[in-house]
Amino acid sequence: MSKTRDIRRRIRSIQSTRQITHTMEMVAASKLRRAQDRVRAARPYAAKLAEVISSLFAPELAEKYPILRQPAKLRRSALVLITSNRGLAGGFNVNLIRMARSLLGELRDDGVDVEFHVIGRKGINFFQFRREPMASRRQDITDRPSMEDARSVIDPLIPRFESGELDAIDVVYAHFKNALSTPPTRMRVLPVSPPGEGRGARAHNYLFEPSAEEILTTVLPLYVRNAVYRALVESAAAEQGARMTAMKNATDNADELIKTLTLQYNKARQAQITQELTEITGGSEALRG
Amino acid sequence: MAVPGSGRPFNLSVITPEHNVFEGPVKFLVVPAFDGEIGILRDHAPLMALLGEGTLRLVTEQGTRRFRVSGGFVQVLDNEVSVLSESAAEA
Repeated sequence: MSKTRDIRRRIRSIQSTRQITHTMEMVAASKLRRAQDRVRAARPYAAKLAEVISSLFAPELAEKYPILRQPAKLRRSALVLITSNRGLAGGFNVNLIRMARSLLGELRDDGVDVEFHVIGRKGINFFQFRREPMASRRQDITDRPSMEDARSVIDPLIPRFESGELDAIDVVYAHFKNALSTPPTRMRVLPVSPPGEGRGARAHNYLFEPSAEEILTTVLPLYVRNAVYRALVESAAAEQGARMTAMKNATDNADELIKTLTLQYNKARQAQITQELTEITGGSEALRG
Repeated sequence: MAVPGSGRPFNLSVITPEHNVFEGPVKFLVVPAFDGEIGILRDHAPLMALLGEGTLRLVTEQGTRRFRVSGGFVQVLDNEVSVLSESAAEA
């Protein structure tokens, strides 16, 4: 008697959870679509920048311009970790945090003094709990990151690299391959590793205004900034993808549970009816007897 | 006699990190370079120039459009012109 009621209560509770996870899945799917569009829209700019830089770059420039310097040995570096502000996205933040931790450990083992910057509430909470010192914590970057956000993250760091205070800047973010595959990735934004080797441009006999070197030193910070912008945009899309997958799994699990519980409930109900019938027939047999 | 290259279209793309602002054939383009405006017609020589702050004007069959740009650069190569800027808003 009370068993059937218990089962009914569980079914109802799972149904309402299912409704929530299903809704979250739908919301994440629609946000993912828009985030994917932003990732796609960012591609032409990045491709053009990379093309121009690779055509302007010449290894001998590295000594003349601070932003091109390639430090022989790392002494101080900065690590920027991008996580999300919200949870319920499966292993999304866990994977990013794990990668950041192993990278921190690796750099420190090599004797590098690492400055740690964290974006996103999930990462901040984790490292606060572990009492890991953080040079900056930011929760104000939404799921629609703008160029302005990228600028505010990286612009304070670029001059410090140029002055020699920092020898490297790494970013850990979720690379958006597609909605299902978003592996945590480490990207070294500075020193710049020029995309492809320098050739091409000078062969075209460009007119340069003012000069190839000046253009390169103006364009390189744009390139660095854009790399950070892309990391933010890709992470935002990856977060929605991860949430969608996690919520889809939760919804499927709920469906499965509801199915088994409904079966159990029907069995229990049937058993109860059978038992009542036996009692009634038993009773009338006895009366007739 | 018209200037060589005038009136005939070439391809232009105006690109920002967030999206493609303009893509298509234009007949004439003026970009605000760092030290003054540069006008570009078809068959312009290969050029790379830094941009300053100012208004970019482009003339298409449909008429003239203006965009405010700040910073970035322009690349001209084989009648393919690309303008890259961190911000470009139609004005």
